[in-house]
Amino acid sequence: MSQSPSSRRLVVKDLYKTFTTSNGVLPVIDNISFEVSPGEVVTIVGASGSGKTTLLRMIAGLETPDRGSLTLNGHAIIEPGPERAMIFQHFGLMPWLSVLQNVVFGLKTLSISPAEKLERAHEAIGRVGLKGFEDFHPKHLSGGMQQRVGIARALAVRPSVLLCDEPFAAVDAMTRLLMQTDLLGIVTEQHATALLVTHDIEEALYLGDRVLVFSSRPARLIEEIPVRIPKPRKPEIRTSSEFQALRAKVWRLLQEHTK
Amino acid sequence: MTAVADDAAPRRTRPATGTRAISAGILAVILIAWEIAGQAQYVNPFFFSWPSAILQASWKLIANGALAQNLVVTAYAYLVGVFAAIIVGSALGLAMGWWKTFGDIIDPYVVFFSAMPRIALFPILLMVFGISDLSRIIIVFIGVVFPIIFNAYIGAKQTPRLLIDAARVFGYGTNQLFMNVVFPAALPYLIAGVRTGVTLGMIMVVVAEFFGGSSGLGQNIAQSAQLYKTPELYAWLLFTSLLAVVLVKGADRFERWAMRWA
Repeated sequence: MSQSPSSRRLVVKDLYKTFTTSNGVLPVIDNISFEVSPGEVVTIVGASGSGKTTLLRMIAGLETPDRGSLTLNGHAIIEPGPERAMIFQHFGLMPWLSVLQNVVFGLKTLSISPAEKLERAHEAIGRVGLKGFEDFHPKHLSGGMQQRVGIARALAVRPSVLLCDEPFAAVDAMTRLLMQTDLLGIVTEQHATALLVTHDIEEALYLGDRVLVFSSRPARLIEEIPVRIPKPRKPEIRTSSEFQALRAKVWRLLQEHTK
Repeated sequence: MTAVADDAAPRRTRPATGTRAISAGILAVILIAWEIAGQAQYVNPFFFSWPSAILQASWKLIANGALAQNLVVTAYAYLVGVFAAIIVGSALGLAMGWWKTFGDIIDPYVVFFSAMPRIALFPILLMVFGISDLSRIIIVFIGVVFPIIFNAYIGAKQTPRLLIDAARVFGYGTNQLFMNVVFPAALPYLIAGVRTGVTLGMIMVVVAEFFGGSSGLGQNIAQSAQLYKTPELYAWLLFTSLLAVVLVKGADRFERWAMRWA
């Protein structure tokens, strides 16, 4: 992992977040701090409903923390911005737009020429393997292909950090394995910085340079586990003893800290 | 990677030629039976006339220009009323769905006027505006505007949270969000409202013409009935129905065109 000045990092510091419900105040994020360096893929694993998604939404600028600070490249995060792009669990594609239009949709607020927007969109569509599907509407695509559009839309923005919220939870198991490998390839090739939230331990270990293990609600950072398996990684590494040992470790931690 | 995964079945399958033939056959039988019964006076010709007499009357009304003249009068009130209702209804409904507080304030009024039999307002409108194009336009407008408001309101309100989040993540401000997400998401509902409005508007304009005036399709239906010009009465009814079919089919086409992505 290359060292870089903190100004080029995503820094999450002493973060707290509560939700107010009819049953009172519910703590969701409890004092979480971590950093993500450029080119690093950090994955967060935790039980469903542990507040991981809320954390990601705060980094995206969709929600505000109660306390603590969020900074990216030295700037405080207060609202959404083009240096952060998000991939949603349920894709979030506009059903009335074609594949190409959906990718261009993500570039709408960037101050680049329409020609460049198109060029970037075509490039991103090619990268996720959807060349030839530009004019299809989401309805005519499988879940996996829809998520590829979601990934292309986020990549085309060329964000400093790619936020992935359970990106493969809504696609079938076979497609999930293929897409994990594809995403890993794209992210590695682009030296992209990514923060990926999942409840799938294998996914967290397979994709991450580091895995942050979260407790269930309220989310606390239990442990940070470096994954020292070199990239590019092949799906076969999942059966290696090193991978399996890490898997067992994460599983034990999650069991101990999940109510 | 699989190709097109769950390709949608064609949304509308045409009826088989056989079924169409049966429909036409039934119509032919009815028309022939009516013709015989009418000419032989098995039924009172004063009330029912018969197809060839109606056709003759229709042709006369087409040839002497009466149809064109009256169609223009009806179409004017209809088009202006429906168009105004679409514009005002869409704007108000979308605004209600977009600004929750505004929607909550206006909602009871919309519920009240939607439930109210609006034909009951006609006497008051005629009292205020007299028998005029304006009163007919207002009657059409009031008849059509509520379903459009209601649909636009529901449409804007049901915009999926996820789509709004997605747009916000990519930096969309309030206006961009409205134009690029809320409006297109509400469009299917809006179009359904317009469809209802197109049909309802036809009823409204004909009923409005019943109340008075000297021309228009509805007025001619009323006059023919009063003067026992039965073939003409049916001829005007036929024109009105054909016009309604054309409008509904047109609205169908427009809906399919606008919703081709769904």
